[in-house]
Amino acid sequence: MNIKLNRLRLAGLLAGAGLLAVAHPSFTADTNAPVAAPPPGTGTTKPPMPAPLTGAELYSMHCNRCHAERYPTERTAAQWKTIMLHMQVRANIPGTQARLILKYLQENSGR
Amino acid sequence: MNTIIKTTARTAGLTAGVAGCLALAPAATAEVSEADFRALQETVRQLSAEVQSLKATNTVAEQLHDQDLQQLHQLQAQMADTARTAADAEEKSAAAAQPLPRVPIDEATVNHNFQILGDAEVQFAKATGQNGSFYLADFAPIFLYRGGDNILFEAGFDTTIANNNDPTTTPPNQGAGYTTTFNLSFAQLDYVMSDYLTLSAGDMLLPLGTYAERGAGWLNKIPDDPLARQLLPDAGVGAQLRGAVPLGDAGKILNYSVYGVNGPSSSDTTGDATSLDLGGNVGPNLHTDPAGGGRVGVFLPFKPRYDLELGLSGLAGQWDSSGNHLYTAGVLDAALHLGPNFEAKGEYIRTRYGSDDQGMISQNGWWAQVGYKLSGLNLELPGINNLELVGRYDALHDGLGTTTRRYTAGYVYYITTALLFEGDYEFITSNDASQNNQLIFQLSYGF
Repeated sequence: MNIKLNRLRLAGLLAGAGLLAVAHPSFTADTNAPVAAPPPGTGTTKPPMPAPLTGAELYSMHCNRCHAERYPTERTAAQWKTIMLHMQVRANIPGTQARLILKYLQENSGR
Repeated sequence: MNTIIKTTARTAGLTAGVAGCLALAPAATAEVSEADFRALQETVRQLSAEVQSLKATNTVAEQLHDQDLQQLHQLQAQMADTARTAADAEEKSAAAAQPLPRVPIDEATVNHNFQILGDAEVQFAKATGQNGSFYLADFAPIFLYRGGDNILFEAGFDTTIANNNDPTTTPPNQGAGYTTTFNLSFAQLDYVMSDYLTLSAGDMLLPLGTYAERGAGWLNKIPDDPLARQLLPDAGVGAQLRGAVPLGDAGKILNYSVYGVNGPSSSDTTGDATSLDLGGNVGPNLHTDPAGGGRVGVFLPFKPRYDLELGLSGLAGQWDSSGNHLYTAGVLDAALHLGPNFEAKGEYIRTRYGSDDQGMISQNGWWAQVGYKLSGLNLELPGINNLELVGRYDALHDGLGTTTRRYTAGYVYYITTALLFEGDYEFITSNDASQNNQLIFQLSYGF
C-alpha cells in the first residue's frame, strides 16, 4: 500500500510540475520578444507577436532535450554539417529549424 | 676634406707672396745688395719648389677625394638596394599575415564528411556484503559518414570489458578474468527526403519511448539503465519513416516515426515464456512476419530551456518461430525542463506476449528521474556550481513472478560539460534474492 502511495505521489508531483509549466505565464512569455504597439485609435492591445526563434535559441532548445549544450567552437563548420544531419534525424528536428541551428553553429564554429 | 682646403689655401698664399715679391723686385733693385738678391732668388726658388710639392700633394688629395666620392656613391646605391629589399620583404610579410578568405569546401575533392562521436565510461561498483571492484569499461564510438546534404550513414559500436566476478549478485559470480564484448549497437542509412520526412533503414535504435535513443553513458545521469527497459528491445533490423512538423513559429513540433523491423524472436525456436528474445534474431529463429511499430510525440517549448515533451509509442509482432504468439509493447514517455537547472523525465512501459507454457504474460514497469543543478542556487562555494543532484524511482513487474523496486539517489559532477563523474546509491526491494543494494561510481565522457 505504501509503495502504491509513493507511486501516486511521484506521479502527482510530475503531473503538477507539468501543469505548472504550462500554466505559469513566465514560462509562456518570451521576455525578449518585441512588443507591438496597438493600432492608433483602436484603444485595444493586441497580444504581442513572438519574434521568430533564432538559430541560437533553437540550438539551446533542442540540445537541452537530451544533453548539455556543446560549444560551437568545439567543431569546424564542415564537422557541424555532418553532426547536424545526425541530430536532425536522431532528435526529430524539422529541416527548417535544423538549417537555422546549423547556420548558427557554422558562424560560431572553431574554423 | 679639411686637409684639402688647408692645402689649397696655403698654396694660394704662397703663390700670392711670390708674385708680390716679383712685382716689387724692379723697384727695389737699386736698394738691395747682390747677396741679398741671391738670397732672395734662393728663397723664391725654394718657395717655387714648395709650391710644386704642394700642388703634387693637392693632386693626390683630390684623387683620394674622388675615390671617397665614388665609394660614397657605391654605398648609397647599396643602401638603396637594401632598403628596397627590406620594403619588398615587409610587403610580402604583410601579405602573408592577412587572414585567408574562407572558401567553400569543394565537396567533390575534399572529404570532410566523416566524423566520429560517441562516449566512454568506466564504472566501479560495490554491492552490499561484497567487495567493490572496477566493474566495466566501455568505449562506444559512433561513426558518421555524410554523403551530400541528404544522406547519412551512422553506426554505433559498443566495446566493453567486464569483470567476470560480478559483485552485484548473491552469491557473487566468481568467474576468473574478464570478458570483452564488441557489439553493433546500430547501423543505419538515413535519407532525408524533405524537411519533414526521413527514411532510415538498417539496424536501428527503436523509438520505443526515448531512452534507447538518448541513453548513452554521458547523457544518462545515472550509470545504469532503468529496470523496466528490460521489457523492450533497444534496436531492430528494418526500415523506418520518421520526421517532425513545426507547429507554428514558437518552436513547437509534432514528431513521428513508423517502422517495420524483424522484432523480438525466440532464443530456442520454441514459444516458451522464457524463450522470448528481445534482441530480434536475424538468424535461424527469424519468424516469417516482421513487427510494426511507431511513435508520435509533441515537443512544447515555452522558451529556450523551458519545455515539455510527451510521446506515445508501441510495437507489435509475432515472436515465436511458429508464429503463434504476439508480442506487444506500449510506452508513454515524458520529459520536462524548467530552465537550465531542472529536468524531470520518465517512462511508463507495458508489454504482453503469449507463450506455449504460461499463457499470456503481462509485464509492466516505469521510471521517473529528477535532476537539479546546484548552480541554480547561486551559491559561492567551491565546486558547488558543477554539481547536479539526481534521484530516480523505477519498478519492474516481469510477469513471471518477480517484482523489483529501486530507489536511487546520486550526483553528477561536471568536470567539463562532457566529462562527468557520477555516483549513486541504489536501494532495492525485490523478491529476487540476487538483487542487492549497491554503490556505483562512473566516469563518463561524451565526444
